[in-house]
Amino acid sequence: MNRRVVITGRAVLSPLGDSAQALHEGLCAGKNQYLPVGEFETGSLQGFRAMEIKGFSPMDYLGDKNFRPLDRIGRFAVTAAFLALNDAGLSPEQVSDREVGLFLGTVFCGLSTIMEFDRKSLTVGPKYAKPMDFANTVINAAAGQTAVWNNLQGVNTTVATGSTSSLNAIIAATASIRCGRADALLAGGAEALCFESAFTYFRGGMLAFNGQDAGHPVPFDRQRNGFALGEGAALLMLEERESARARGATILGEIKSSATGYDPSRGTNPEQGARALSHTLSRTLQAASLKPAGVDAICASANGSQLGDRIEADALYAVFGDELPAVTAPKAVLGETLGAGGAIQAIVALESMARGKLPGIAGYTDSNTGLPESALGAHNKKQDIHKALLSSVAYDGGCAALLLEGGCQ
Amino acid sequence: MRRVVITGIGLVTPIGSGKEVFWKNLIEGRHGISDVTLFDTSAYRVHRGGQIHNFQLGDFLPDVDPGLFARATQFALAATQLALDDAGLDAETLPQQATGVSMGTTSGEPNLIESFNDRYVEDALGQVPTHFNERYPCHNIPAYVASHYGLTGTTPTMIPTACAAGNYAIAHGFDQIATGLADVMVVGGADAFSRITYTGFARLMAISPDLCRPFDRARKGMIPGEGSGVLILESLEGARRRRATILAEVMGCGLSCDAFHMTGSHPEGRGAVRAMQKALAESRINPEDVDYISAHGTGTKSNDLNETLSVKKVFGDDAYRVPISSIKSILGHTMGAASVIEAAACALAISRSVIPPTINLEEADPACDLDYVPNQARDVNVRIAMNNAYAFGGNNASVILKRLEDVH
Repeated sequence: MNRRVVITGRAVLSPLGDSAQALHEGLCAGKNQYLPVGEFETGSLQGFRAMEIKGFSPMDYLGDKNFRPLDRIGRFAVTAAFLALNDAGLSPEQVSDREVGLFLGTVFCGLSTIMEFDRKSLTVGPKYAKPMDFANTVINAAAGQTAVWNNLQGVNTTVATGSTSSLNAIIAATASIRCGRADALLAGGAEALCFESAFTYFRGGMLAFNGQDAGHPVPFDRQRNGFALGEGAALLMLEERESARARGATILGEIKSSATGYDPSRGTNPEQGARALSHTLSRTLQAASLKPAGVDAICASANGSQLGDRIEADALYAVFGDELPAVTAPKAVLGETLGAGGAIQAIVALESMARGKLPGIAGYTDSNTGLPESALGAHNKKQDIHKALLSSVAYDGGCAALLLEGGCQ
Repeated sequence: MRRVVITGIGLVTPIGSGKEVFWKNLIEGRHGISDVTLFDTSAYRVHRGGQIHNFQLGDFLPDVDPGLFARATQFALAATQLALDDAGLDAETLPQQATGVSMGTTSGEPNLIESFNDRYVEDALGQVPTHFNERYPCHNIPAYVASHYGLTGTTPTMIPTACAAGNYAIAHGFDQIATGLADVMVVGGADAFSRITYTGFARLMAISPDLCRPFDRARKGMIPGEGSGVLILESLEGARRRRATILAEVMGCGLSCDAFHMTGSHPEGRGAVRAMQKALAESRINPEDVDYISAHGTGTKSNDLNETLSVKKVFGDDAYRVPISSIKSILGHTMGAASVIEAAACALAISRSVIPPTINLEEADPACDLDYVPNQARDVNVRIAMNNAYAFGGNNASVILKRLEDVH
């Protein structure tokens, strides 16, 4: 089983912009600007702030088409797939001939669509619920729409594992290519902000902007008090290496190894949580026959959650100790993008490799996590990065890790 | 690549729980369709469903507080316990750090959406439970299963690819074992009866007012149902090492997307054909090697015609030889659980040499001229079975199972 998996394209839609470059520059600018949202009413959520993509319109990318069949997450996913295929230089004929498939991570998919569909039937009667909306109530709706709009005839898998979903999707897609079941797959994730997810997280007491505190969703920071919600989409174009070379594709990086795991205490026992993640990180390094010292940078999933960041910090320390390489944490600026988070981490890592510059952790001053301060900090770090480790832990126990190597062929 | 086998089956269905009750009712053609009582159907023109009546989690897991879990999770926990019992495994004997869980669903836990909305419309959102996000997002179904048995080998993964989700979950579990990421996988599907799903299919005019009659000229549509199916997958060498009873080998999977329409299938069966072709290729077999096809068989005209056409395209003249049946005629459509339950039926057909019937098939639609095994189970030496599933989003998934003694 020596089929290797390379990255030949990527796309991101984020509040910092719609390209890997804009995302990287925005993270390096180091400002977190959580704002009141405009897409839905948050009157009952006192002090609510989030990172929303303002003024998003798929028409800017896909031209003047009828976008009514798509809800917000559908628009994100359809557009990101279009951009990723373009970035990879795949023509519509190649997309069709190679039966490009999709692995899309998400937590909620079209939660507000599902809610509204049911409310319509509840308030005015089932015969007023719209059949077109029903198509978007299934949790694979965004993936299905993405296939319809981009002619993706290969495997079409939605992956839901919580906030590690898109990293799990990339890992599952990689396994599918290694198995020989596919040669070319889009993999990543998407999530859209909506009232219902904002309300239920607010009510669950997990958010930094909770109406009582000032709100400090800064990864690993001593003052952190929870996470802020974000939204977006990110996709990688994954290809089997020989087929990518044969078509002369630009190779942005290679997936060297990965692992997934689980904390059965569901994030309630920090020791178990750290053990599950450190085991996952170690297995990832072992699978690539790499010692911890061989990792040049880490792109973490930390989002400002008190317990979650502690679990990730303890796991990183267990694996790397005082030799921890430089760590970045994109959720400092982007917020918790749930189903899009892991894929955004991957794109940040790829862009950091290409530019030799790792974004600092915006807003970070100091930590109570025990991690060496040399690895953290709000300042950007100029350095060569050949191998980057992505670490992802969900607040409810999921763990995933992936080792990326930069674009040498 | 490691070979992957099925060593346990757990079923919670409208025709009963446990594989023996299920199988008896299946081959006797006793259907599980009844009046829906979980919610008020008076505003609908249809009232029938494949609802599971009198389900008690305590019958399966007496030490678990059912109040902690929503309905689909309860089904999944019960089916997992049955599957582990069937495989002769428990939390002690399972290799917990090398075991993972992957499942499929259409709607996850829609009952939690409904109770959210019941409060929303009464302006009582303050009564929404604070644990909503610990229970609603669909990955919690496999996650609670993994937590209950301490299974940490992979991230518990939900593959919510609607009505083909079960086969997708089998494929995901297959990949994990084949590539060495896990030694044992608990794979399954679960869905709970929901007014959302019922409303949606009612609005598409797809629900039958009485029974499910796949391939019959008097068909009136599908019957929404609920339940869970779980299979225990293991590497062949692992199963042999512990002398497990091997029910069937998973030979290969074929997954594709129509990329054509969200709710309607491609008129030429493009994706369904590709899924079957890919599954045959991955299994390194030819159409003439297939002894039984478990149809998606929902009971809608569109499915009957498309599925018949697709099978003919892949099997050619052999399409008239190979028996095809739809157990949805008996169970109704258990959504994300359906294709796992159907895969279980394939494994049982293989191990018991009996094919379950398509019931309510009095007079076939003239356009449906294949052998649908009408009304009576049939004794057939089934060595290889193909399990087909199709879904919203244009998802298609075919999984091929084989009796182990015949392999290579």
